[in-house]
Amino acid sequence: MRYYIGAEARLRRMVEDVAMSVFEGWNYEEVITPSVDYYDLFEQGMGQREAQRGFRFTDNDGRLLALRPDVTSSVARMAATLLSERARPLRFCYAAPVFRQQTQSHAEWRRENTQLGCELIGAGGKPADLEVLRLAAEILSRLNLQSRYCITINNVEIFNGVAAQINLETPAREQLRRLIDTREADELQRFLTNYGNGETRAFAQPTELTGKRNVIQAARRTITNDRSVAALDSLDELWTEIEALGLEDSFEIDLGDVSSLDYYTGLSLKVFVHGAGSSVGRGGRYDGLTGSFGRAEPAVGFVLNLDALTEVLGRKATQD
Amino acid sequence: MITIAIAKGRMQDSALSLLSRAGIRLSEEAVNSRRLALTDETGQYRFIFVKPADVPVYVEHGIADCGVVGRDVLLESEADLLLPLDLGIARCRIVVAAGNAEAMTRVQGMIRVATKYSQIATAHFGSRGIPVEIIQLSGSVELAPALGLADMIVDLVETGRTLRENGLTVIEEIAESTGRLVVNRASYQLKAGEVARLVNALKAII
Repeated sequence: MRYYIGAEARLRRMVEDVAMSVFEGWNYEEVITPSVDYYDLFEQGMGQREAQRGFRFTDNDGRLLALRPDVTSSVARMAATLLSERARPLRFCYAAPVFRQQTQSHAEWRRENTQLGCELIGAGGKPADLEVLRLAAEILSRLNLQSRYCITINNVEIFNGVAAQINLETPAREQLRRLIDTREADELQRFLTNYGNGETRAFAQPTELTGKRNVIQAARRTITNDRSVAALDSLDELWTEIEALGLEDSFEIDLGDVSSLDYYTGLSLKVFVHGAGSSVGRGGRYDGLTGSFGRAEPAVGFVLNLDALTEVLGRKATQD
Repeated sequence: MITIAIAKGRMQDSALSLLSRAGIRLSEEAVNSRRLALTDETGQYRFIFVKPADVPVYVEHGIADCGVVGRDVLLESEADLLLPLDLGIARCRIVVAAGNAEAMTRVQGMIRVATKYSQIATAHFGSRGIPVEIIQLSGSVELAPALGLADMIVDLVETGRTLRENGLTVIEEIAESTGRLVVNRASYQLKAGEVARLVNALKAII
């Protein structure tokens, strides 16, 4: 529960305006989705575990409603139903509050966060991935966070390919995912000795999972299954484009970013800014999502956390 | 410069001697002072000394980039942190202990468990489907069974001497706990070089 008064409110509005004008410059149309919708929508869109963090209540006919915990679910359904006839690709952007229950003690304690987000639906492949990465970078540099931010990118299929190859059952896969996510080197070594396969060794040294192109080269030395190699190739190509744009100082490859494997289907990204203790944005490719609303097509997008950005910029302004 | 939060008490001396073997030294005078924030001899590292349970809080919010704290504290806090290194210091066990082994069989209905570690105790008994009443204490937990406050305790054991002297025996080991290096998620990316240098310096001497 947070009030913004006077100068703070102006700063927050300015951040929102910057993001929305960048989106507009790339031909993203603004969309306003309902704040309250049936809970089923969000469960279909986000998966049960994430959707359950939403605030739920019942309508007078007993059906379960939720205060929207994300905007992407609504946009994906809108694209698949209301706009199913419209020419692709679709480009949408929004600035909207989302509501999630939080564990009180955690750094991300706010129940209400405003997301500045965009969705590019009906376009796959490298150009679409690159487009959203450029958008994110442009917003952050227009906010004068140049050289103070870092966008990490990964392709979740690298992990998925390796896990599929050694036939991990769901609990063991989840355990491996968690150990990589929290970079628990010693437990990871112990876990991997049970799986003789050489490819898992690519994840054994957590400190070597983040960096520039060298990370991909190192992974190629141990990973040979087709699924992961294809993902490494596409990450490699994306990195070439990032270098061609001169953005390589602001980007980092992080093969250890395996936090949302069930949601993303290819590219995944996280945004970090000096002065914020946790990530201020995230996104990726979710080609599986619109299919659950009846029209399968590629989609990619990201969100930035307006409240976290405002806080960082506010503190930066008083320091400067 | 990166900031390292160190858990005061049990962990502090072994953490500082480990860091000094890794080439990160505090001057004698600084260690003996009562200041809670100190800078090392090279000026690359700042240390802050806080209560163990507060280490995950400082690190999760990014006020400290790294921390040294026991696994027992991390299990209890459920903070979202990176755990790149097991430092192997201040080794101990988190155990269930009771007056004697038959204590379990005599208890009817609800078991009362006294502990400082209510999260760990709840998760442990919950995963076995054993209904328990958790009684949260903040110290001298070993007293509780003898005085009839609880049937058993969940606590940290180093040598087992305190348990023995209070007539308690270990029934079950829940987990082993050692000192961990924890890292803030944002610092791990934004100060990648400095964090990697610290991790590698420590890894080389463990």
